[in-house]
Amino acid sequence: MTDAAPPVLSVRELSVAYVAEEGLVRAVDRVSFEVARGEVLGIAGESGCGKSTVAQALLRILPPPAVITGGQVLFEGQDLLLLDEPALRAVRWRRLSMVFQSAMDALNPVLTVGDQLQDTLRAHGVGGAQARARCEELMALVGLPADRLGSWPHQLSGGMRQRIGIALALALEPALVVLDEPTTALDVVVEGEILRQLLALRRSFGFSIIFITHDLTRMLQVCDRVAIFYAGRVVEVAPAAELRAGPRHPYTQGLLAAFPSVHGADGELASIPGSPPSPRSPPPGCRFHPRCAQAVERCRAEEPPLVALGGRHQAACHLVG
Amino acid sequence: MRYLLGRLGFYLLAGWAALTLNFFLPRLMPGDPATALFARFRGRLGPEAVQALREAFGLTDAPLWSQYLTSLGHVARGDLGISVAYFPAPVSQVIGNGLPWTLFLAGTAVVVSFTLGTLLGVAAAWWRGGWVDTLLPPILAFLGAFPYFWLAMVMLYVLGFQWGLFPLGHAYGDDLTPGWSLAFLADVWRHAALPMGSIVLATVGGWMLGMRNTMISVLGSDYVALARAKGLAPSRVVLRYAARNALLPSVTGFGMAIGFVLGGSLLTEIVFSYPGQGYLLVQAVRNQDYPLMQGIFLVITLAVLAANWLVDLVHVWLDPRTREVAP
Amino acid sequence: MSAAAPRAGGVAAWWEAVRRDRKASLGAGLLAFFLLLGLVGPWLAGPADALVGVPLQPPSAAHWLGTTGQGQDVLAQAVAGTRVSLLIGFGVGAAVVLVGALMGVTAGYFGGRVDGLLSLVFNVFLVLPGLPLAIVIAAYLPAGPATVALVLVITGWAWNARVLRAQTLMLRQRDFIAAAVVSGESHLRIITRELLPNMTSLLVAQLIGSTVHAIGAQVGLEFLGLGDVSAVTWGTNLYWATNDSALLTGAWWTFVPTGLCVALVGFALAMLNSAFDELGNPRLRLERAWRTWLLGHRHPPARSTPVVVTRD
Repeated sequence: MTDAAPPVLSVRELSVAYVAEEGLVRAVDRVSFEVARGEVLGIAGESGCGKSTVAQALLRILPPPAVITGGQVLFEGQDLLLLDEPALRAVRWRRLSMVFQSAMDALNPVLTVGDQLQDTLRAHGVGGAQARARCEELMALVGLPADRLGSWPHQLSGGMRQRIGIALALALEPALVVLDEPTTALDVVVEGEILRQLLALRRSFGFSIIFITHDLTRMLQVCDRVAIFYAGRVVEVAPAAELRAGPRHPYTQGLLAAFPSVHGADGELASIPGSPPSPRSPPPGCRFHPRCAQAVERCRAEEPPLVALGGRHQAACHLVG
Repeated sequence: MRYLLGRLGFYLLAGWAALTLNFFLPRLMPGDPATALFARFRGRLGPEAVQALREAFGLTDAPLWSQYLTSLGHVARGDLGISVAYFPAPVSQVIGNGLPWTLFLAGTAVVVSFTLGTLLGVAAAWWRGGWVDTLLPPILAFLGAFPYFWLAMVMLYVLGFQWGLFPLGHAYGDDLTPGWSLAFLADVWRHAALPMGSIVLATVGGWMLGMRNTMISVLGSDYVALARAKGLAPSRVVLRYAARNALLPSVTGFGMAIGFVLGGSLLTEIVFSYPGQGYLLVQAVRNQDYPLMQGIFLVITLAVLAANWLVDLVHVWLDPRTREVAP
Repeated sequence: MSAAAPRAGGVAAWWEAVRRDRKASLGAGLLAFFLLLGLVGPWLAGPADALVGVPLQPPSAAHWLGTTGQGQDVLAQAVAGTRVSLLIGFGVGAAVVLVGALMGVTAGYFGGRVDGLLSLVFNVFLVLPGLPLAIVIAAYLPAGPATVALVLVITGWAWNARVLRAQTLMLRQRDFIAAAVVSGESHLRIITRELLPNMTSLLVAQLIGSTVHAIGAQVGLEFLGLGDVSAVTWGTNLYWATNDSALLTGAWWTFVPTGLCVALVGFALAMLNSAFDELGNPRLRLERAWRTWLLGHRHPPARSTPVVVTRD
């Protein structure tokens, strides 16, 4: 563990809720994790576990009715949750950027790709010929011809759009890029190409990555370390190799058993009966206990904390504590 | 281009439908223009004269299809028949005199209302919970509930008759000769202010509310989240990313609303004795001047179709997606 | 709205929305007042046609809203007009929605050539300017409420058809419709039992919108003199007011009350519709709940995701 360098990002006890008519619905509940410089951290979990919510909460771009209800997001030494609008704008994209799940929805349909790249550069003081040159450079980085700058999003294929998304994210050479299921909408071949390219870019530029996906197989190939989310909580964190070799949390075990047999399927898992609880009414105790074959009495009453299991492996389960 | 040509084809079809409707209506309904004219002159016309009139109106004994073709031919030549109210002036001439005034009044009013309403909608979405967002919508919704012409009556009564701020009617003062002189144009605007104002007041709320609601939806979209994440200035996020996209459904609605607003503006013209189609329409209704009524319907339909095509052009300019070859 | 919204819950949900929403309560209250007025008003306000006094008298103790150019009581006329105008308004509104639903759902459900043809018809009707067309048709028919109602239905249904077609196309994609088709249910049954119940909120919105439009258009047509000018309706009241030179003589009381009635009914319906719109538009609803919640926690709604530390 390279404890010498402080982590790029340290999220502590982050909670995010959605305001509903009947009150708050907690989507993310006291979540903590860290990302070291140059590291690829994976966040995995079923849909609805709060992983995408975390991604947008880091940048504080979650649209209404979301509210961050507590915690800290320490990024390069400052707590993003304490910043006002201008200070946030200075951090956004210059230091911390993001690739959205669906590039089709994330690109403005009425502006050309070039305009959207230039907007980004200009907002951070890169203008004129310099911006144009940078745009072409970025297109080359992601393997697209420069004349595509004049295209509108609808004229591009899904893979091309996602490459544009990556070009956008790298435009200002940020310290951390959040990838929110960036390849879910793509076919396997294109997905593989794009991920290889991203990792190569990371090697040359040295940025850190948070890679969010529900595809555990892919995640174990790509990431240095993996955090498993379940129902808005972190249930296990471990280096990828360690997790593959010996998952400790019953949920992670179930996830690993389910993959890679159903590649890309985002729903109920073959080896885990039942479905995740509604965030409106999470079960008491361990949130996984209703689906857990090994659950004991204590699991129903007491919520397990995330405890260190030696090395960099942590899990939140009474059975392994 | 394919898209615009397709639209053009559709408008041609709609125009043809209007022509056909115009032809068959008098033949399906009780009453016809010649009889109306006959009644108007209370027996001063003999049966032969009535027969001649019927033929002048195209109501001959020829087979229906031949009458239909003749009528289409007449319209193509700009011949819309003879007006009863302004007998024996041809309908095309009567309408031609009033058309520029209607196009000016309704056209300006609808563009002003749309622009103002859209800007207010953006402002309401931008300053959510501010006075533009909370106070204006119910007030404008209330104003929008009044018939256009009733608002016009009240405004004319208060601002014209009571306070004398505006002229009481007509398109320009009797003492001026029409021309492109500055004095004349200024007078035209002074006369148009009240009728236009009442139309704008009655319609601006609809545009505002529509734009506001679309803006709120668009502000929740991924591309706006990305624009924010990119650190763009709020004004740029709202205008270039949210408003540009929220405008598209409004523009589509604009095309639909033109016909509706034009109808309301016809009634407003009546209140102000504005010398446009609305005024003619009243004369036509009072004198049972069917050819004039139908002529007005036809001309207004064509104007609405043309305006719709212009809106399509704007839509294509605003939305790159429509420029592609669509199936 | 959720496609599988239970039918029984619909009415209760609307009632709940009306009760909770200030605008909607106001709208419902106003509407109830006018419905009551239409029902019992004529007995209270006296005969509308009777010549009761000197023409063009301003409001006084004897005639609260003055007299018309013919010497009738303005209040009695405005009240008497309520019944006919509301009857035609709601009648036409309902008919327009019915015709629109028939055309739109048929087009969307059967698709193919049926859809092509019907879509063409209602798209053409949609671009034909309504009022001039209504006038042309009405001019050939005997003047009266029936004529007005008929032309308003003819010129009003196309928009509803278009919206309902789009909604049908969307619902047809859903699993429960596909399941019904596969299980061999009859078309009529699928349309009436599966499709239409899932459009209730849209149909109600359309009913309200069409009624507002019908009342306005009816007033417009009658103002032009295309109604039965001897009947007492809101439109003919305004027709007679202008005919008797209300503006020239300064008799504002002859047209102001009637116009206010039209606007208040229209406003009431618009308020109801905006509340229902919010009910059917989760984004608007949740955004509002979010703002209220933030203000309740003394936090101004911000552009960036707000941070509000809660202790529960």
